[in-house]
Amino acid sequence: MTIEDALGKLEEITRQLEDEETGLDASIALFEEGLTLAASIKAQLEEAKLKVEQVIEKTQGTFTLDSLDLT
Amino acid sequence: MQIGQSEHIYTVSELNRTARETLEETFGEIWLRGEVSELTRAASGHLYFTLKDDDAEISAVRFRSRSALLSPMAVEQGMVVLALGRLTVYEPRGRYQFIASLLQPVGEGALQAAIERLKSKLQAEGLFDPAHKSPIPRFPLRIGLVTSPSGAALRDLRSVLERRWPVAQVFLFASSVQGEAAPSELVRAIEAAERYSQAEAPLDVLIVGRGGGSAEDLAAFSDERVVRAVHGCTIPTVSAVGHEIDFGLTDFAADLRAPTPSAAAELVVPDREEIIDATRARAVWLRQSFARRLEARAARLDGLLRGYVLRLPGRRIERAAQELDGQVDRLVRMVGDRFRDRTRRLQHVREVLRLSDPDRPLERGYSVTFLKGESEPIKDASRVPLNAWIETRLHAGRLLSRITETSKDANTKEVDAN
Repeated sequence: MTIEDALGKLEEITRQLEDEETGLDASIALFEEGLTLAASIKAQLEEAKLKVEQVIEKTQGTFTLDSLDLT
Repeated sequence: MQIGQSEHIYTVSELNRTARETLEETFGEIWLRGEVSELTRAASGHLYFTLKDDDAEISAVRFRSRSALLSPMAVEQGMVVLALGRLTVYEPRGRYQFIASLLQPVGEGALQAAIERLKSKLQAEGLFDPAHKSPIPRFPLRIGLVTSPSGAALRDLRSVLERRWPVAQVFLFASSVQGEAAPSELVRAIEAAERYSQAEAPLDVLIVGRGGGSAEDLAAFSDERVVRAVHGCTIPTVSAVGHEIDFGLTDFAADLRAPTPSAAAELVVPDREEIIDATRARAVWLRQSFARRLEARAARLDGLLRGYVLRLPGRRIERAAQELDGQVDRLVRMVGDRFRDRTRRLQHVREVLRLSDPDRPLERGYSVTFLKGESEPIKDASRVPLNAWIETRLHAGRLLSRITETSKDANTKEVDAN
């Protein structure tokens, strides 16, 4: 799941938990899912390493990538 | 050779003065184009230099009092300039020289004018219309970059992204960013980015730019072909040309203008620290909200159990009853302890019941007497006739007796017990 999707899902969970109509069982599931998402977002952001590639167009429409990552 | 009577003999001073006057009158104020060399900045603030072309040179000076129009620091050795000034002779040395009042790098004025004209034309065409601008995604992961592989733009962008948003992937489409070939290479790179975005996975944003430089260095970003390519690009584009005050016409055609390549990165990506903090706060909120919900639910159950449910109108009772049904399992666990209390209470009740058993006093020597065939114990002697048979129930066994005498006095009684 991308960061954006995870953040969106977390927001949705918050909205549902704010809703008084959400039952207790659903709340438990949402609560657990929310905490898992929060942990995964944090891990993704903390562990990520920037990738830089040079795109070379061999012939029109076909590409190769050449990594410019710093070692 | 004889000097004629009418011949005028000049003194050196006179000649120099006359030459000065003649030159000044003849030329007046003129524009002179040349390359700056032998540049000397005098302590007085005056600027001495030579202007030259391929075949000739002339010494020149710009006095400090005239310098307000262009900072002396902006003039550099080797720079081709247009100088506005007067031709004169420095009389004490007989030196022919040019006194400049205004210096401007060649091409700059003409270039600016051309850029302004192009800007008006493209603006009239609607290329800079805000309605054409598309929003930049909030969390771009695939960031295209059109610039030079060896320039400051790539380096700056990389360092900002490493700090703020390392989840991103940068795709560089290399192009020269100044010189003759730059406009066509920039166009080709922008078009390659567009094709790549369509053929492979879409790019979230495309940054087109370069680091700082002279107006001529930046000119490629005001080239009509490049501006049109930026305008036509379907990927959201960011123009990031030069330093703060620099600009290219691409700034107006792009979806977003950034003052520098570093600023482009800052504008385009969020800061991971902020998101991590916000996510942490969200997790705390989740825990608190969940705890509150459990407490509220416990309080509501408590209320239901106290029988308030019976006072509610019909539909609400049904709902409450369903609610109760749904909670039975949980309830059993919650009140398990009370069940144990109830068992204990039951034992107590049983004990009380046992103590109130009518047989119990017989164990201690008391007895109960009935008229034979009746079930009510005898409580009054006067109600028992003579010769009646009575049955006495003891803790163990029974006695059958016959009445020989009755008395109201509790102390005198005769019983013929056989």
